Amino acid sequence: MKGMVFTELMNMAEQAIGEEAVDDILDGLSLENDGAYSAVGNYPCAELMRIVGAIGDHTGIPMPELQRQFGQWIHGRFVESYPDFFRDKANVLAMLDAIENEVHVEVRKLYPDAELPTFETEWMDETALKMTYRSDRPLVPFCHGMIEACVAHFGAPAKVTVQEIGGDGAAGGSAEFTIRLTA
Amino acid sequence: MDGETPSQAEGPVSRRRYLRERRAREEAESLLDIKSRALFEANEALKVQAATLEDQVRERTAALTSAKAEAERANAAKTAFLAMISHEIRTPLNGVLGMAEALSDTGLAKAQQDMLEVMTASGQALLSIVNDVLDLSKIEAGQLEIEKIEFDLGDMLDGVLRLFGAQAREKGLEFDCHLGVSKGTRIRSDPTRLRQVVSNLVSNAIKFTTQGRVTLSATLAAPGDDGLARLAIQVTDTGPGVAEDTRDRLFKPFSQADASITRRHGGTGLGLWISRKICRLMGGDLIYAPAGAGDEDGVTGSVFSGHFSVAVQARESDGQQGQMPEAEAVLKGHPWAVLAAEDNATNRLVLHHLLKRYPLELTMVENGALAVAACRETDFDIVLMDVNMPVMGGLEAAAAIRDMEQAEGKPHCPVIALTANAMTHQVEDYLRRGIDSHVAKPVKRQVLVRHMADLLVAHRVR
Repeated sequence: MKGMVFTELMNMAEQAIGEEAVDDILDGLSLENDGAYSAVGNYPCAELMRIVGAIGDHTGIPMPELQRQFGQWIHGRFVESYPDFFRDKANVLAMLDAIENEVHVEVRKLYPDAELPTFETEWMDETALKMTYRSDRPLVPFCHGMIEACVAHFGAPAKVTVQEIGGDGAAGGSAEFTIRLTA
Repeated sequence: MDGETPSQAEGPVSRRRYLRERRAREEAESLLDIKSRALFEANEALKVQAATLEDQVRERTAALTSAKAEAERANAAKTAFLAMISHEIRTPLNGVLGMAEALSDTGLAKAQQDMLEVMTASGQALLSIVNDVLDLSKIEAGQLEIEKIEFDLGDMLDGVLRLFGAQAREKGLEFDCHLGVSKGTRIRSDPTRLRQVVSNLVSNAIKFTTQGRVTLSATLAAPGDDGLARLAIQVTDTGPGVAEDTRDRLFKPFSQADASITRRHGGTGLGLWISRKICRLMGGDLIYAPAGAGDEDGVTGSVFSGHFSVAVQARESDGQQGQMPEAEAVLKGHPWAVLAAEDNATNRLVLHHLLKRYPLELTMVENGALAVAACRETDFDIVLMDVNMPVMGGLEAAAAIRDMEQAEGKPHCPVIALTANAMTHQVEDYLRRGIDSHVAKPVKRQVLVRHMADLLVAHRVR
């Protein structure tokens, strides 16, 4: 998993619980590289899950909720770092529709080895999009949080519903999101 | 990604945090090294590939260039071979046709005369094929040249009419002519090539039409300020026409619209190609159209329209008419001393037979050196000179004769070159080198006699 996800998790956690608490958590997990993450590195996803779990234990926030908040946080970072992707999109649906064939194409140019989830989209009508998220990692709430933040970014209100696929699938996580503009 | 965290206190950073950050930075730097190296290597590989590709392009280009040169050499060799072999065929054919012409003057029985006519016609057919092939090689070598000679267009067309009118009638076809050109209309152009195109079109029309009619029409537009006029020739027939999908093959060499045509009608498939080339060399073109285009009654047939740019001459008085009898009279009227230099025994025999009806004192020699020696001994009225001869060629001999005349104060003796490979530029060359006139082989009596008479008259007057 790209190091940027780890460094952003650290940033969010530091803001929420402070540097000392984060350092304590990292030291307590005896991680492979002692929690020294750089944005350009690649690290096992399992470590991310352990860190998220430990932060949850520390804060008392359940794992899915924490993932969702992290999704919203990281979306803010995307908007800040890659504004061009957002600039020419009419609404949130157009943005989500562009992930697979526009955003991920650019990601692969920089990181040919990136293991990306897939975002299959289907327009239900002009105001609703069905997006099927498939990943090898159990990150459906994280994805949900990103979608919510994306809706907020474009301003127009929308209803987001999620239907997990495959239910208790051990490692992976897939879900069908429906995003319908409500204004 | 600097991950600014606004709520962070500005106080000192703990040792463990510092070490962790430093380790992360070192990892990132080492990763950067690896990536930079990979990028460099990929770049180098691309450069090598680009260089290799350029080498390959260079090699292929060189190979293509040499293959093209090789193909052009082969084609030029083929053209040269065709020219040489056609020339070699024409020489003995000259003998056959000349002797046949001479033989017909020997008082043959009717049956013999009929046989001789078949022989002559077959020989002429063979000659026309050889001429086609020779034209092809000249055209391919860019050496087909158009002469500019003044002649009577009406006479020329009349000749074609007489020749093909009889053929058409024998085949039960009507032969209509709409000549907007009268006798005495003199133009400057290439009569041989013009006749060749018209004959080709008319003979094709007769060949492919089984019933109905063949129509030849000719119109000569009023000349423009430059003295050039458009001569349009149209040959229409009521034959089967040419199917739309085979029309593009009409004007290609060695191709006839349908392979079965070769079986049924023969021919080399060169005629129309040559004719179109000639038209274009003469500032015009040759095109095909189906006859009755636009008619509803489903008339079939072909229309071949050729046009040429020709120079129109002022109308001459009738003094030029009846040239041939006058020429005959010149040769018959005096025992002219004629020297003929010709190395080929058959050709000597042909000349002998062609000229024997006139009271000439004919002397034959076998090469240029002997011709010069003979001229030194005797004052000839005219010399007929083959060009390619052993010991001394005709051009060299003519030059030597001129030198001798000058040195000894002798009068100018006219020399006619007998040429088997007459190309315009060669003829001009001859005319500069002491030759007064030229007659192309196979020698036709009518042509030879006219040239001889013209020169004899001109020199006697002087």
